[in-house]
Amino acid sequence: MQYRPDAAELLDAIASLLERDVIAAVPPHLQHQVRVSANLCRILQREAELAPANDTAERDRLSAVLGHDGPLTELRAELAHRLDDDSAIDATTDRLIRDSLLATLRADLAIAKPGYDTITGAP
Amino acid sequence: MSESTALRDWLAAEWHVEPAGFEVRITGQSTAGARRRNLTLEIDGGPHPGRFVATVLPTADIAILSMADEAAVRMLAREHGVPVPEVVAVCLDESVLGGQFFVSEFLDGETIPRRLLRLVADAGIGTHVVEQLGDAFGRLHAIDPAAAPAALAAPVAPVAAALDGVTAAIGQLLQPEPAFSYVLRWLRQHRPDEPSTRRVVHADVRTGNIIVDRTGLRSILDWETSKIGDPIEDLAWVCTRMWRFGEDHLAVGGLGTVDTLRDAYVGAGGTWDEERFRWWRVLVTMRWGTGLAGQAAMHLDGRFSTVVMAASGRRVAEMAYDALMLVDQA
Repeated sequence: MQYRPDAAELLDAIASLLERDVIAAVPPHLQHQVRVSANLCRILQREAELAPANDTAERDRLSAVLGHDGPLTELRAELAHRLDDDSAIDATTDRLIRDSLLATLRADLAIAKPGYDTITGAP
Repeated sequence: MSESTALRDWLAAEWHVEPAGFEVRITGQSTAGARRRNLTLEIDGGPHPGRFVATVLPTADIAILSMADEAAVRMLAREHGVPVPEVVAVCLDESVLGGQFFVSEFLDGETIPRRLLRLVADAGIGTHVVEQLGDAFGRLHAIDPAAAPAALAAPVAPVAAALDGVTAAIGQLLQPEPAFSYVLRWLRQHRPDEPSTRRVVHADVRTGNIIVDRTGLRSILDWETSKIGDPIEDLAWVCTRMWRFGEDHLAVGGLGTVDTLRDAYVGAGGTWDEERFRWWRVLVTMRWGTGLAGQAAMHLDGRFSTVVMAASGRRVAEMAYDALMLVDQA
């Protein structure tokens, strides 16, 4: 195990450098890229903190939908494949799938764009 | 030879004016999106003195529409009362400015989204601008498509073509995205009939592609995506969440409400079908999600590697969320 700072703490340090000092020091045509890079560090910082628990929760939801466990990537592919085929899915299962997908997207957004899922108007 | 001299000589020949006493100055340059160059011009003398913009398509670029066809559709829309800057010259000779270009009237006003939305809020004209957009769509969609340039000829079945397009895009995702598969299944199951009438659609009207000043909407820009299709696509796209720039309570581009848009559109002769509108809203939202995924792929495979393109991959969830929420409401 690595000594501190951990991944999230290091990404925080890099993001702070980019936001505080680098944006002001680079020519204008690079500023947008630096701003995006700082934001990516913030995303990865949240990802380092939240992704392990998110992935476990997503795998649990997919296992409940599909009726068996497995690696997350395989469960995702299996659900996508099942939805690609137009055979009937009953209303209860449909609701379960939709709720499961929404819960996963909310967890993804908590990393990639916090607050995006608190929209007040129509999507 | 400088660009302004080359442009002056070409315009003098095009307009049959003596070069003496005829001046063209390039006063600024910007890139509109990544594809084109815009040169702001001041022209003294000749038949069209004043401020203009030369929109140049770099030679290497693959045009969606040729500059001549884009200029023709702009002129057609303008003749039918859609606010579009007047085109005064079209040049297909790529040697003059390093690519085909057209010259159109310069209009003062705001285009940059957040500044535009601040101006609109400050002047209290959001509802007015949305009424003008609805009216402009009504006028555009009233044009007889037979009058449009042949290059706009479109799929005979725009609903099927759009559905095939997103299906193919989802097939090319770098990893399965079950939320997109769920939405695509919904799109298949709720697919509307093909539109009874196919019309000239702009296909990219949004906050960011319009000029607004304190009096309201001045112009609709960037006609390179125009095509013949299902008219409701234009109304769905302008309501997509990302064009609101955070003003989510104002569904139409952060400017005003769908009710206002609908009333103005119907008032200008448009036909509004709520179910069809919702279907297209889901489709265009998910289509942009696959577009963002495509940008991430272009970064990864080296076609266009920048940190901005890479970051698009972390935005796919936004579109998946919006699309799923739209399905949930439908």
